[in-house]
Amino acid sequence: MRKYLLKRIFYLFLTLFIVATVTFFLMKLMPGTPLQNEAKLTASEKASILAQYGLDKPVWLQYFIYIGGIFKGSLGLSFQFSDQAVSYLIGSRMGPSMQLGGQALLVGVVLGIILGAIGAIRKDTWADRLATILSILGIAVPSFVLAILLQYYLGLKVQLFPVAGWSGFTYTILPTLALAASPLAETARFIRTDMVDVLSSDYIELAKAKGLSKFGIVYHHALRNSLIPMVTLIGPLAAALMTGSMVVENIFSVPGIGEQFVKSILVNDYPTIMGVTIFYSALLCLLLLLTDIVYGIIDPRIRLSGNGD
Amino acid sequence: MADNPNSIEIKPGDFAPLDKQAGPDNEKIAAPSLTFGQDVWRRLKGNKTAFTSFIVLILLFLMAFGGQALYHHDPNAQSPKYANLPPKIPGVNIHGLNGHIKQSGTDVDAYKQAGAKSSVHYILGTDYLGRDLLARIMYGTRVSLEIALIATFIDLTIGVGFGILSGWKGGRVDLFMQRIIEILSSVPSLVVMVLMATAFQKTGMASIIAALALINWTTMARLTRAQTLQLKNQDFILAARTLGESAPKIAWKHLLPNLSSVIIIQTMFTIPNAIFFEAFLSYIGIGISSPQASLGTLISDGQKNFQFLPYQMWYPAIVLIILMLAFNLLGDGMRDAFDPKSKR
Amino acid sequence: MNLKTAAKVTVVAGASLLFLAACGSNKSGSTGSTKQVATIAQKSELPTMDISKSTDVTSSTALNNTNEGLYRIGKDSAITPGIAKATKITNGGKTYTFTLRKNAKWSNGDKVTAHDFVYGWQRTVNPKTASQYAYLYSGIKNADAIVNGKKAVSTLGIKAEGNYKLVVTLDHPISYFKKLMGFVNFFPQNEKTVKKYGSKYGTTSTAMVYNGPYKMSGWTGTNLTWKLTKNKDYWDAKNVKMQTINFQVVKDNSTGLNLFNSNKLDDAILSGTQVKSYKTNKNFVLRKVASTFYVEYNRKASNSTVAKAFKNAKIREAMSLAINRKQFVNDVLADGSTVSKGYVSSDLAKSPINGKDFADDAYVKNSVTYDMTKAKKLYKEGLKEIGAKSLNIKLLSDDTDGAKKTTEYIQGQWQKLGNLKVTNQNVPFKTRLQRSQNGNFDTVISAWSADFTDPISFLSLFTSDNSYNNGRYNSSTFDNYIKAAEGKDANDTKARWTDMVNAEKTLMKDTGVAPIYQQTEAHLVRTNLKGIIYNTAGVQYNYKYMYVK
Repeated sequence: MRKYLLKRIFYLFLTLFIVATVTFFLMKLMPGTPLQNEAKLTASEKASILAQYGLDKPVWLQYFIYIGGIFKGSLGLSFQFSDQAVSYLIGSRMGPSMQLGGQALLVGVVLGIILGAIGAIRKDTWADRLATILSILGIAVPSFVLAILLQYYLGLKVQLFPVAGWSGFTYTILPTLALAASPLAETARFIRTDMVDVLSSDYIELAKAKGLSKFGIVYHHALRNSLIPMVTLIGPLAAALMTGSMVVENIFSVPGIGEQFVKSILVNDYPTIMGVTIFYSALLCLLLLLTDIVYGIIDPRIRLSGNGD
Repeated sequence: MADNPNSIEIKPGDFAPLDKQAGPDNEKIAAPSLTFGQDVWRRLKGNKTAFTSFIVLILLFLMAFGGQALYHHDPNAQSPKYANLPPKIPGVNIHGLNGHIKQSGTDVDAYKQAGAKSSVHYILGTDYLGRDLLARIMYGTRVSLEIALIATFIDLTIGVGFGILSGWKGGRVDLFMQRIIEILSSVPSLVVMVLMATAFQKTGMASIIAALALINWTTMARLTRAQTLQLKNQDFILAARTLGESAPKIAWKHLLPNLSSVIIIQTMFTIPNAIFFEAFLSYIGIGISSPQASLGTLISDGQKNFQFLPYQMWYPAIVLIILMLAFNLLGDGMRDAFDPKSKR
Repeated sequence: MNLKTAAKVTVVAGASLLFLAACGSNKSGSTGSTKQVATIAQKSELPTMDISKSTDVTSSTALNNTNEGLYRIGKDSAITPGIAKATKITNGGKTYTFTLRKNAKWSNGDKVTAHDFVYGWQRTVNPKTASQYAYLYSGIKNADAIVNGKKAVSTLGIKAEGNYKLVVTLDHPISYFKKLMGFVNFFPQNEKTVKKYGSKYGTTSTAMVYNGPYKMSGWTGTNLTWKLTKNKDYWDAKNVKMQTINFQVVKDNSTGLNLFNSNKLDDAILSGTQVKSYKTNKNFVLRKVASTFYVEYNRKASNSTVAKAFKNAKIREAMSLAINRKQFVNDVLADGSTVSKGYVSSDLAKSPINGKDFADDAYVKNSVTYDMTKAKKLYKEGLKEIGAKSLNIKLLSDDTDGAKKTTEYIQGQWQKLGNLKVTNQNVPFKTRLQRSQNGNFDTVISAWSADFTDPISFLSLFTSDNSYNNGRYNSSTFDNYIKAAEGKDANDTKARWTDMVNAEKTLMKDTGVAPIYQQTEAHLVRTNLKGIIYNTAGVQYNYKYMYVK
């Protein structure tokens, strides 16, 4: 177990190192500087501004400084906000994104499990079909379309929730719902497939023969066995949430990282693009590692070992 | 009864050949002999949802690639005079299809307001430059599909190649290749795509396709690798090896046909994924650049006017949703059809 | 996860869903009847509150309302009193002596003195500060040399004589100098605060000090909302009526409209079709911006045929005539923007001779009109003159919505000339700037926004040696007019005006550039929100006298 962990952590760092390197050089290929109105600036002004951002040094040196900085928790200075460290920017924008992501994951997974279970138990009935259609719609309707519809109908027309903004729990509801669609759909599909398999296995037949109630069977035997592999789904779901957050936060004026990332792309704020990329990768890597560990603990069939896969 | 075995008398007439026509033959294969493909097709036809999806997809493809032959409107022809006209189908008087629109609370004939002659009508209305929305949707669907298909094709090539190589070689090569996949898949795919799209600067089809292809192949590679690992120790592969068949030939002749079901199913999920990501990139402003259009850019343009001209977002969104639904449902159906264990 | 926890999770989630539904039903109205509170939409985040580093509308709006310089720019760009109580101009317009009011205070309790101006100005021109707007100081004694690192910061032409007397020395007379003094980059800075926060100065609402009508709070440096509240220590506090002004960054235009319609915003920005649908709304307000969008022809294009074509006046004129600006502005952009009358924008400055708007005074007939027949004829003749059969050009522009609409439309119009193929290149803003400046384009749609409300802010761009003259327009007549306006006629407002009018006319007659439209922002502003002072350039928003009726 320990050997396995060490190995995984080593790969985590290797991955992040590669991500940082590739991102750094990709960004260096592109035009764009912190200079706002280049033509009006004199050579010495330009030089002093570039020096402030460390852009006066040769690229290889910039690279080493950047990589070295990451270990100290520094990701450089943002071009968009003057004198603002990218690490501070990410830190101050992280809260809302995490909250939305967490809520969406919770709502999505719980409703997904319910939908999936209904589908599996009532397989090939209208309930199953409805659950399937609902869950596939979650995949088929892009989050930005859903966000716009929610905002317009629930926010403006029915006035059930605030239209946009970020000042209190009620403001999180619409963005959470918009984000929850995709994890809901993925979970429901996953649970349904898995439970259909489980429900047709012998030990369920045995349970039925023993006269257990239908609810008891589903609750104690089927769902339990389907929930364990669910853990492996968390990683991909989190990645999908990151994607979704970019537009959902934008539409609902949520001061989160996704919204900032889109803005940084549009204004060519390269240090922020790099920083957020590394942050997202680190987050996903950690989640993947955690889910693997959790999976190993809760599923007795899996033994974490140090030798390959 | 006390039988005496000796008392049984066997006469020549006792054993006569059975009449083949009369009795059941346990050896006979009652069902018509089907190839694997035929069998899959049969199962697919039996699955109503999947089959409907299949038909819908064919229709959408026809509309996207052949629609212009029937509906002669240039998707890029602008007539700013007729900008933002709502849908109007002559002879139909249902609100939403009669060219009327609500403006500051009152119902007005938008066509009359724009000074259009009574012969002017746009079935799905026009966009902000007065371009025919139906023509643009057909065109946009085509671009979206093209992007998805090309990206998926590249995906297939890289993914399957990588997977087979990794599984076949095994050992260190496999370990190394697995690490690459692991690293790639621990970066959120959208971030990679955004980086690629930004890096290529020239936003447009090529950069989107490249970005899609670069990131999406890992799942395919993983699946093919797992399947290859299973197959490579089976007897028919061993036989081929023993007979001195070269590795590429084994891959082509023996592995690939056996991998086909995995590949086809995965493709069914990769295509909508690509369409979705393209729409996403276009929505945040780094996708296809105008005057080219994709479903993503159409939705993104339409979203801005959603409060007054909801049709501008609804129609492309509906096409996108149908497309995604159809691919996903067909994919599900295919998975069942390819799976010999499935009951149907 | 064992099943019991899973069950708990389900129950908790279910309960929280119910809770969600319950929460949603109690709405909170934000607008009271006469509460002096308003919420205003902003297009983008606040990048800085550092006076030396402000370059954009958002930060100059925030700074202009939380801080104050020698003057405050009022209605129609009029100069109204600020920290300066009296001004004396001597030495042929080269020396300004300001007497400061004694009752001006910083929010940390310090008095606003002449030393704060000296410190602030020196900080801005100091190359170490890396201010991007230090070029505005050009003309103040030694400013250019200091910015270039050739002279010490202390040699800048500004001196404090005692606490309340400020003497500024110029290299040459600057006719718009008083207007400049209302610009945020010339505001005073409190040395104590700057030193205290170091590199964090101006990066959050707390790491900043205020001497203006309002104080800021709630800005973390990166978030999307902030708040201005009345500053009781402001010297003219009795004339400030608003208690609170909230700012909310809204990037999605339909979100802005939805917020306005649900009473969460009192000033929202509209775009495109929204404008058309709200034109008759009682809240509808158009705000012209001193910003002109124009086509530049690259006379040094890499393709020699294209370069030759753009040196040909007929081809340039033909391409300008082919653009139906009226149709474009009304039907395509449809965001309230107006057709340019010339290169210098409308509502920028009024003539000291006859009170006419500059754009009307310098109007050249047929320079921005649409005439396809004439355009086709001119184009044909032009092609013959340069000995070419057809042209294949690229049109460079931004990748924003408006820019895409513009290129699509112009592409369509130009191709109607026949034998002209146009390829659009929509690239990110910074890439466009870089390519324009490197001369890596055939035609480009550029935009220029005036820094201050004087036509020279536009016109100085097209002198033959200006670095923003991307198309390399080269006219000695034009150059001479500008030289006169900035040199020998600088103290003579009327002669200077005539020089500038002539310069503009020269540029338009040559079709040096083809102006297309003047940007205008369409807003929805609640009718009970009064007293907002808006100007087309410089510091655009002055909320000092705003109130809710």
